[in-house]
Amino acid sequence: MPPIFVMIDILSDIFGHFWDPKKRVFFGYLFLSIIIALLWLVAIKGSDLKEALGKLFNRGTWLSSSAIADYKVFILNRMFTLFISPLLISQLAIATSVYYFLHSFDIFSSGQFANVNPIYVTALFSLTLFLVDDFSKYLVHRWMHKWPLLWSLHKVHHSAETLTPVTVYRIHPLEGILYALRGLFLQGTTIALFSFFFGSAVSLYTVLGINVLVFIFHIAGSNLRHSHIQIRYWPWLEHILISPAQHQLHHSIADRHYDKNYGVALAIWDWIFGSLHISENDEPLEFGLKNVQTEHSSKLHTIYIQPMKDMLKVIKRRFRKLLKP
Amino acid sequence: MKISSKSILKISTALLASTIFTNAVFAEGTYGPFPVTLQGYEGSEENTVSYSGQIARHVLHDNLKVLAANGNGGANAEEVLAQMMAYYNGDENGLEVLAPASTDDFGFMQTNTSEISSGANLEGKFYNGSMNAWPGSLTGKDVIVDMMERAALTNGGVDLENGLHYPQLISKFTMGAVSFHQAVDNYLDEKLEADTKPNNEAYSEGAHYTGKEHSWDEAFGYWGAPAHALSLTPEQAYNIAKKADLAVADANGDGVVDMKSEYTFGPAYYAADADKSGKTQYLHTIMTAFIDGRMIIANAAGEALSDDQRTELKAQARIIADNWEKVLAEAAFKYAGSVYNDINKLKEAEDADKADITADYIKHWGELKGFLMALQTGKNNLGETATQMNILTGFGPVLEDGSFVTGVDADGKFNKLQRTSLGDYQINMLKLQQLLADDFGLEARKNDLSDELKNLAEAIEAAEAAETD
Repeated sequence: MPPIFVMIDILSDIFGHFWDPKKRVFFGYLFLSIIIALLWLVAIKGSDLKEALGKLFNRGTWLSSSAIADYKVFILNRMFTLFISPLLISQLAIATSVYYFLHSFDIFSSGQFANVNPIYVTALFSLTLFLVDDFSKYLVHRWMHKWPLLWSLHKVHHSAETLTPVTVYRIHPLEGILYALRGLFLQGTTIALFSFFFGSAVSLYTVLGINVLVFIFHIAGSNLRHSHIQIRYWPWLEHILISPAQHQLHHSIADRHYDKNYGVALAIWDWIFGSLHISENDEPLEFGLKNVQTEHSSKLHTIYIQPMKDMLKVIKRRFRKLLKP
Repeated sequence: MKISSKSILKISTALLASTIFTNAVFAEGTYGPFPVTLQGYEGSEENTVSYSGQIARHVLHDNLKVLAANGNGGANAEEVLAQMMAYYNGDENGLEVLAPASTDDFGFMQTNTSEISSGANLEGKFYNGSMNAWPGSLTGKDVIVDMMERAALTNGGVDLENGLHYPQLISKFTMGAVSFHQAVDNYLDEKLEADTKPNNEAYSEGAHYTGKEHSWDEAFGYWGAPAHALSLTPEQAYNIAKKADLAVADANGDGVVDMKSEYTFGPAYYAADADKSGKTQYLHTIMTAFIDGRMIIANAAGEALSDDQRTELKAQARIIADNWEKVLAEAAFKYAGSVYNDINKLKEAEDADKADITADYIKHWGELKGFLMALQTGKNNLGETATQMNILTGFGPVLEDGSFVTGVDADGKFNKLQRTSLGDYQINMLKLQQLLADDFGLEARKNDLSDELKNLAEAIEAAEAAETD
């Protein structure tokens, strides 16, 4: 292959997420997010269009040192993912071993419920996948904040001082692996369970190749979670769905916002487990980490190497505690 | 543009000519006749194609399967065994053809083996290497005799206590141990060497065909396809074996089916069965290779084959052997799926239905086991694959009480153990399908047990290591 095509290949691997409807930063979802943000600013907040556009595309946000770090991390992490993904256990391997395991119970037989109306099965499967995914993200996210070892990694994401849709990629690669493994295991297990009990009746309701519920989450402005547009829902709705403003509040450095709103799409997990905080009245939020010098937090060294050092410190501290009488 | 009557005439002539041409090409796609090329031959024979001995063996095999079901529980064992041995050993004076037998709508030309070929037998051609898939550390010939002896003692060929269906075991094992074994390990193997059965000599003294011509024909005979199989769809070739379509079988239109050239026997039947999936073309691939190979030999015009010609011929032989092996593996794959599905039915069945389901289960297991044994009679030493196939399948199916045959004692009685479950045996069937699909590169994959799981896992892409909040 001529070098130019190799280059194009690599670039499309790295930037492919922008035209992949399975990814949050798909250009279609980004475009819809802009529309939603403009509607919010003009129709609800009463700005004129020019003012709204100015707020949306301001240099201070998009070209801040924090945002520029996001862009670099996006590219580096994509390259890292391209190398690491093939090394991870495959979802099919997990699904297969769970599927095999289910056969060892003689009280079950495969395809036991294969006669249930496929419409119900497909609806149940689509919903289950969505709920399992959303709840497990809530849990892992919560652990990321509560366990010092994991916080060493997750604070990379929270070191962002301005939020853009690309901030979703501002994570330490090890955190990425943990999230990927979570998805592989739970999705693989769900697939195996449904396939075992419902046989050929199982399929998924999809739009553009993704679960219809995830699609709704994306077209409803999932990208605005990481932005400075504080879209709020009615308080009752913020008990069910996490609004963009609620997630921004999760990134706020104010003491009262600590350890709140871990949820992704659904707010019910936060509500049930006592970490829900509904959005507040349009006050500007300050994002980032307290006690960290701003000029360092967006350096690549701080993002990639510091977390490892911090993890080591946590481990050492644990050992010292163990060894002390 | 105005179309003149002249140009219409031209177009119709061209159409007619091309139709005739196409049909002519089609007619050429049969296996034979091929002209005499033997140098110095002065007799009156015009066609050198001859494989009646092989067809006779297919027929002997079909009869063995019928006879294996004739036992009445022990009283007639001696008589039943004697009958089976007669077909196994062949008879110069001919034997009555019990199967395939004519029906009102599907009449055969032959009713006695002597009308096909005299003197053919199974014993002389049976695979005699070691056969570890059957208990007792026996050779291939020992195994088939052991099976026949045990079959004669059963009621209707089925040993319910051990889950063994002898007509199926005997039939499928023989389909490999005679046909597949002789074709791929003998005629398409050493008989293609320069110093064996050369093309510039008669196959045997007095024959009108050359060494290579007849070697190739014999291999084709073992394949068991009608000579006009290339003009048939998989369904048509399949229906011939089911005696369901006389018009399609009767290529020369004489109103009867000639077993020697118009019928579909075992190996070709299972190729057609796999091809009905629409995912494979084993029947046509193998037929084409047989015809192309035969053309290479015919084109040598009675001269010894050059090294290049033999290389080309071996390439065709390789296509045949590889695809034939796949056909047997596809059949085993399909029956592993049936066995698994039967276990599901057994788990869910009411007591009253269990006997019928168990009968199906044992029959399907017999087909599975027979095909797995057939695979182990070829030219390739399957090594680890064979070991795994034998471990996963065992010497007998796991029965409802969790028992299964583990071996044989000094008196020839099967040993049994009771230490597994139907569910665990289902896992073995899943693994067996995976093994067969991977190691033989299967594509038809009928009754694929993990198809749905794979499709779902592929449809729902694993969440990639990125989006976090």
